[in-house]
Amino acid sequence: MVSAPLALIAELTHRCPLHCVYCSNPLAMRNAASELSTAEWTSVFEQASQAGCLHVHLTGGEPLARRDLVELTARARAAGLYVNLITSGIGLSEIRLAALTEAGLEHIQLSFQGGQAEPADEIAGAHSHGHKLALARLIRKFKLAFTINAVVHRQNLDHLSAIIAMAEELAPDRLEIANVQYYGWALRNRDALMPTRRQLEQSQATVSAAEQRLAGRMRIDYVTPDYYARYPKACMGGWGRRLLLIDPAGQALPCHAAGVIPGLSFDNVREHSLAWIWQESSAFQRFRGEAWMPEPCRSCDRRGEDFGGCRCQAWLLTGDATATDPVCCLAPSHGLVEKVVARATDDLAQEKSRFASLPTAWVYRRNPS
Amino acid sequence: MTLEATSRPRLLAGCRWAEASGGERLLLFPEGAIRLQGTGREILERCDGQRTVEQIVEELRQIYGTGDPARIEEDVRIFLGKLHQKRIIDF
Repeated sequence: MVSAPLALIAELTHRCPLHCVYCSNPLAMRNAASELSTAEWTSVFEQASQAGCLHVHLTGGEPLARRDLVELTARARAAGLYVNLITSGIGLSEIRLAALTEAGLEHIQLSFQGGQAEPADEIAGAHSHGHKLALARLIRKFKLAFTINAVVHRQNLDHLSAIIAMAEELAPDRLEIANVQYYGWALRNRDALMPTRRQLEQSQATVSAAEQRLAGRMRIDYVTPDYYARYPKACMGGWGRRLLLIDPAGQALPCHAAGVIPGLSFDNVREHSLAWIWQESSAFQRFRGEAWMPEPCRSCDRRGEDFGGCRCQAWLLTGDATATDPVCCLAPSHGLVEKVVARATDDLAQEKSRFASLPTAWVYRRNPS
Repeated sequence: MTLEATSRPRLLAGCRWAEASGGERLLLFPEGAIRLQGTGREILERCDGQRTVEQIVEELRQIYGTGDPARIEEDVRIFLGKLHQKRIIDF
């Protein structure tokens, strides 16, 4: 018996004014011409609500790049969904924010690429930090829940205190400090983004202190990179268990990265109902239950908790989507992750002494054609 | 900011009730939801920005009359403290 999905991730577009080097969008993106229409998204929202979804996350690319975003918000709310907007803030004016709030937006999550303009704009590949600061102050004028999502990694973890101080001054309800995870463009830039063990340990102490200081005023959620974890995350709450993603062209995926796994045939909302896709489609069924698990997962006590970790990460790192996620200390291929982590720790000292003056050779996220 | 007897707890923006299928009441908040039953539900439903903590405790005592009154007050404070930390209520 398949449980109902809890949330719909609506990847409205892959267009985006920024070029963040850690972006988890697929390398092969959907172009504007292939995007679902307002009416098609409306149908998706209604079906998602009927299927049991409580939340919709309007995301992308940059959801503000959709000119019909206010209408989409209204339709999602009318369908009975709680509307979250996951955004860089680029393209959001006071008038538009008022219209979105009026249309039923309840929560806005605004990304920050750093605590200061120069390094933040380098990560984003565009001048954006100043606009985000101004927008954050504007958001507080509206009756919205407000989260700041600060993306951290090797290049900015040493400045975490300053990033937290910046966020504190902007007064969101919640601060999510998100270490980069390695999919899409982030994987291409992994060596420049992977923190050292020392950076990670220091960051945990910094976050702990901040949590205590800010308890009751600002909630802090800290996500550490799973390359440093002992056990894997229950990715997306499990394959086809809690979350359902619809990409800009209507393809239904259990997560943003699943398109990398070969041999899976993903269905499209233009051709099938959401209910059928969720309950019965081969792609969604593929990694449900335990029959697909090889050892050691198959007889592991943790299999009901983390489901063997992330299928996409297993594919990306080992070439086998059924393998135990290599971040797991019990994974046969755990050595792959240990090597990456060891290299991260060795390189930082060398970088600082020899290459401090050279710019990082980033692979910047491109826009779809 | 500590919770006083005269504090008036209220839901923060973006936190609201919803009915799920099967008639159960859920509290929705950014990116999440909690299913509340029993005392938790009774307490949170009274966080309307009008009632004081003292009034909420008193109303709970009337519903759950057999309980130790001091214990009910402590349970209310702990529960509200947790929701405050999660940025679901303010006062």
